[in-house]
Amino acid sequence: MNLRRWLAPDNVAVVGSIVGLGSFLLPWLNVKPNRVAAGTGLSLPDAAGGSGAAPILVLWLVCMALSFTVKGLWLRRALGLASNLVLVITLVLAGSAARSLSESAGPFSRISPDTGFWLALVACYLLIFASRRAGDASVLWRSLMSWSGLAVAAILLAAGWLNSLSIMQELAIQGDRFRAELWTHIILFAGSVAAGAAIGIPLGIMAERTRKAERPIFLITSITETVPSLALFGLLIPPLAALSFAFPALREVGIRGIGATPAIIALVIYSLLPIVRNTFVGLRGIDRGVIDAAAGIGMSPGQLFRRVKAPLAAPLVMDGVRTASVQAVGNAAVAALIGAGGLGAFIFQGFGQQAPDLILLGALPIIALAVLVDAVMNALVKLVTPRGVTRSAP
Amino acid sequence: MIRLENVTKRFGDLTAVNDLSLEVGKGEVCVLIGPSGCGKTTTLRMINRLIEPTSGRILVNGQDTSRMKPEGLRRSIGYAIQSVGLFPHMTVAANIAVVPELVHWETHRIHHRVEELLQIVGLDPDEHGPKYPAELSGGQAQRVGVARALAADPPILLMDEPFGAVDPLNRMKLQGQFLRIHKELKKTVILVTHDLDEAIRLADRIAIMESGKLVQYDTPENILARPVSKFVHDFVGTDRALKRLSRIGVKSFIKPAAAIKTGAPIEEANRIIGRGRSAWLVDDGGSLTGWVDGAILRHGQSVDQAAVKAPSADIAVTESATLKEALSRMLGLGFRSLPVVDDDGCLTGELSLADIEAATSDHERL
Repeated sequence: MNLRRWLAPDNVAVVGSIVGLGSFLLPWLNVKPNRVAAGTGLSLPDAAGGSGAAPILVLWLVCMALSFTVKGLWLRRALGLASNLVLVITLVLAGSAARSLSESAGPFSRISPDTGFWLALVACYLLIFASRRAGDASVLWRSLMSWSGLAVAAILLAAGWLNSLSIMQELAIQGDRFRAELWTHIILFAGSVAAGAAIGIPLGIMAERTRKAERPIFLITSITETVPSLALFGLLIPPLAALSFAFPALREVGIRGIGATPAIIALVIYSLLPIVRNTFVGLRGIDRGVIDAAAGIGMSPGQLFRRVKAPLAAPLVMDGVRTASVQAVGNAAVAALIGAGGLGAFIFQGFGQQAPDLILLGALPIIALAVLVDAVMNALVKLVTPRGVTRSAP
Repeated sequence: MIRLENVTKRFGDLTAVNDLSLEVGKGEVCVLIGPSGCGKTTTLRMINRLIEPTSGRILVNGQDTSRMKPEGLRRSIGYAIQSVGLFPHMTVAANIAVVPELVHWETHRIHHRVEELLQIVGLDPDEHGPKYPAELSGGQAQRVGVARALAADPPILLMDEPFGAVDPLNRMKLQGQFLRIHKELKKTVILVTHDLDEAIRLADRIAIMESGKLVQYDTPENILARPVSKFVHDFVGTDRALKRLSRIGVKSFIKPAAAIKTGAPIEEANRIIGRGRSAWLVDDGGSLTGWVDGAILRHGQSVDQAAVKAPSADIAVTESATLKEALSRMLGLGFRSLPVVDDDGCLTGELSLADIEAATSDHERL
């Protein structure tokens, strides 16, 4: 009778809970006697024992129940906490189960997360997303719900709790190379976005200022944006190779058909469109009355730009740089194909060797890097947003 | 002060302003009015060179503006527009301070000026100075816009529908405030509007434009009384006589009024009222409190019994009211005469319907 009053299912949360419960039935850890042999999947109860599996099952059921009654702030917060808790317990269990399994399976064995594990993570983030969707006025709760699981994961990683998982073993083997490729990756995306901003912002200003420049600038940046990244990398090889053959001196400074140069050129080209477009829109979107008033009360064009246009356009420009950065983190992975290095190198090597751990060793840090860059750039966007201006939705 | 000599502006094939000549004297309010697309805003924007004329000259203080630096010229001319255009990333105080900063005033002088201006436009400097434009109401933003235009104390003010974006009630208030500020500061003002009532209320002279040409430039009274063409006649409308009344104050039409004090002896009351239909009722301080019906008094009743009490605000007009307001009140109340009170509510005289009628026909004959 009163049940109906409490029944307020959140579709995303319900899907999340179903996926979570479903993950329970799928293989959770994969045990291989060595790196290349076929493996066998173990379910969560088999891998972690009943005492490990029981709390997770209970938490999934709690999440399921909460998904059907997300009315009220505290119920949503409870859902957010429960899903973060599942995430943490899953990681803790994966670490300990992998350790005991590797002890019994021998020194060459490889223990890696299986479908059920990954689905459980997906389910956790569906639930976290659902619990955050309605918004929460408290910054503490907001960050607790989004970041607590990730924070614990980072601590577990740093403390070596997950070291028995095969991806971490791969990391231990590749240690120095991993750090080098990570650094290359950062240089690749950060350098090209910086160059992209240095070229793109003036281009955007130019496009906004003169109608003659607007069309060609957008034509070129839009067309290049549609070329697949692999094709663009490939397209750059012949001219750069020809150039370096014609002028051997160029080869000395690293300009060759393959390697970092074509990769950086391509990444710069990709970062142009979001930066040029956002600069243009940021300037064009300023209220005409504001510009008219500024000119009318006697600001020179330079003063108008420095004191009015630049500060008002800054948030959108920075948002363009954010888009370009996140995009470049991903695109830089492809650059490994033309010998530019970066974390993509692990991915393609993993493909070649049919070693999923190696693929993950490249892919997971790229995802983490993208999320981190997005968060940092979002903070920068907020930083350059002048007081008195509420940022419109991007 | 401002002279336009045969000014023409063409945008491609379109002639926005066609051979326009106009002179605005120092301290005058000149209102440019006409249907949309008549070139009034273009004319305004040519004065501070936001638009350059195709031909002709514009002189400010006898100097050809085309020989001046545009920025310098604009800093000496206040500019207020309908969309206000406050800088959203600056506080109200910073917005007003922009022009004084551009002309390098000292910091404390700017600070002082900002406070003074906020007070002039009726905003509290401590409350509104630190606010951002997004936190202001439409009317407040318009006032800040006017304050910003006045900031560096320019002798000339250009206003493009400065009260256009606010509701009618607030517009009336802002117009009243504009007149008060104008009386005090005596700026030379050129104001663009499409609202004829606003033009009649604010202007010393109205310039009526039609497709880029100046068709009549005269005082509001003369424009209403003697439209030079059918266009002007139609533009000012069929209620010209009524509109004209809004230009005339009641002050010169006040006549002495018969007043009876509350509780006066009946003989005295009868003597005051004589054969009149009624007399105004005042208290000991002279404040209007109603009226006394002559017929009842003559039946031998006391003053109190013959008195009709009514609040002064409901039946009287003030000395600063216009004949239009007085007439509308008379028609509303069904009175043939109306008491006039001063700011304290004391009776100073009365107005008669016959005199208002005479006023309209007087001007008709002009």
